[in-house]
Amino acid sequence: MQRWSERNIGARLAVVLLAAVLVTGCASAPNPKDTAAVAEYETLNDPAEPTNRAIFKLNKALDTAIFKPVSSVYKDYTPGIFQKGVHNLLNNLRTPIIFANDLLQGKLQRAWNTLARFFINSTIGFAGLGDPATDYGFKFHNEDFGQTLAAWGLPEGPYIVLPIFGPSNPRDAVGLAVDALIDPLNIWLSNTNHEELIFARAGVRGIDERARNYDALEDLEKSSLDFYASLRSLYRQRRSDDIRDGEPSANIPMPGLSDIMPGIDPEEEPGADLGQNVPSRTP
Amino acid sequence: MMKRRTYLRGCFALLLVASLSWASAPRAESIEESARVFLDTLSGDALQSLTVKDVPRTERIQKFRKLFNNYFAVKTIGRWVLGRNWRKATPEQQKEYLGLFEDLIVVSYVDRFAQYTGNGIKVTKTLAHNEKVATVYSEIAQPNSTQPVRVDWRVGYRKIGNKILDVVVEGTSMSQTMRSDFASIVRRNGGDIAGLITVLREKTTALKKEASAQ
Repeated sequence: MQRWSERNIGARLAVVLLAAVLVTGCASAPNPKDTAAVAEYETLNDPAEPTNRAIFKLNKALDTAIFKPVSSVYKDYTPGIFQKGVHNLLNNLRTPIIFANDLLQGKLQRAWNTLARFFINSTIGFAGLGDPATDYGFKFHNEDFGQTLAAWGLPEGPYIVLPIFGPSNPRDAVGLAVDALIDPLNIWLSNTNHEELIFARAGVRGIDERARNYDALEDLEKSSLDFYASLRSLYRQRRSDDIRDGEPSANIPMPGLSDIMPGIDPEEEPGADLGQNVPSRTP
Repeated sequence: MMKRRTYLRGCFALLLVASLSWASAPRAESIEESARVFLDTLSGDALQSLTVKDVPRTERIQKFRKLFNNYFAVKTIGRWVLGRNWRKATPEQQKEYLGLFEDLIVVSYVDRFAQYTGNGIKVTKTLAHNEKVATVYSEIAQPNSTQPVRVDWRVGYRKIGNKILDVVVEGTSMSQTMRSDFASIVRRNGGDIAGLITVLREKTTALKKEASAQ
């Protein structure tokens, strides 16, 4: 009996993906004369939209059938302290990846923070179940190889939706694979013939993540007219925030600034916009 | 009578001074301070009007609608969310769109808004971008995590009062996400605003039906 290896699954996945692209084809480009439409098409940067939507639909079905109900039960019927412990443990196990990517991006301060967290939480944090490091001022941060590639100046490439993993782009997809391959725990488990534990850990991580984003995703879907488009936008914003390490950016467009919305002056009708019952500016 | 009024006025002045010094602001002239005070007021108001138990859903929706209009620049956001399509719409379409836009947000977020603004909101810093817009950076504690959620509030500053222009959760702007969402619908309807309005109408009707069934 042939053992499942990651390479084997990867090869099969590639074939399925390729087939899907060939069957559904690419989004039709807009009329080159319509400059606004062309600009929009380029900003969307989603040339494989029909394929992506098909995979998105598949993921949605999988989520409805498996991930959503499982994470719902996990969220509502297991003790909060247990969920906290699981989350802390997963974060602690991720240390080598975060540390390596901190270093690869030349962020020594953050690398030191990651290391300090690991030693504090692995010892007085009961093998990573607790998170006393946060109380000592060493707050958690995440890093991954997708972010490292971005820091090295690699562009993200077009938007893609991966089966199961969801929203991504070539840069992040490569990052995902590299992180999984260089993870020392994965390598050790693989060498000791415990591949099932690699999948188990990935599964638990998936449920933890899904449960954590449960309400937010619910709200987003509720308020979205086109959930696919909302998630695409959300993913890109989120990744750009990850890459900036959460630092504020001056380039985020927002309502109320005339230079972003030419032709409409935000002061156009100040009274109409603002109701009566408003806390006034402090004297 | 005169005495009583003076007494009341004195009390009010004292309260005002107390509240200002409590917010540790001797001269609250700056935009940043104003934005922070504004957010404090919103947080208190949301807690007070939205977390009351055993209130019929229709009443809660009503309360949230009022709060939303009081604290958010609903029209400015709505127009910005529609982007370049705003100018393509007829005045009637614009009017209907803004109404549906408000409905969509009110019915989608009525249950969770108090959760986002109420307990455990901690302002980390405030930054004025220019003389009109400031961002209040805050962290909201999570029940099952040591990591709080980062929420940035873009506050527009005007003489008549402050209004929220955008809410940015963990780096994702709600206005930007909606703008992409709506643009996609318009595009898939061949650039037709009427198509978007139809989808909006159907969506809000379904949400309202769902809400009243609960």
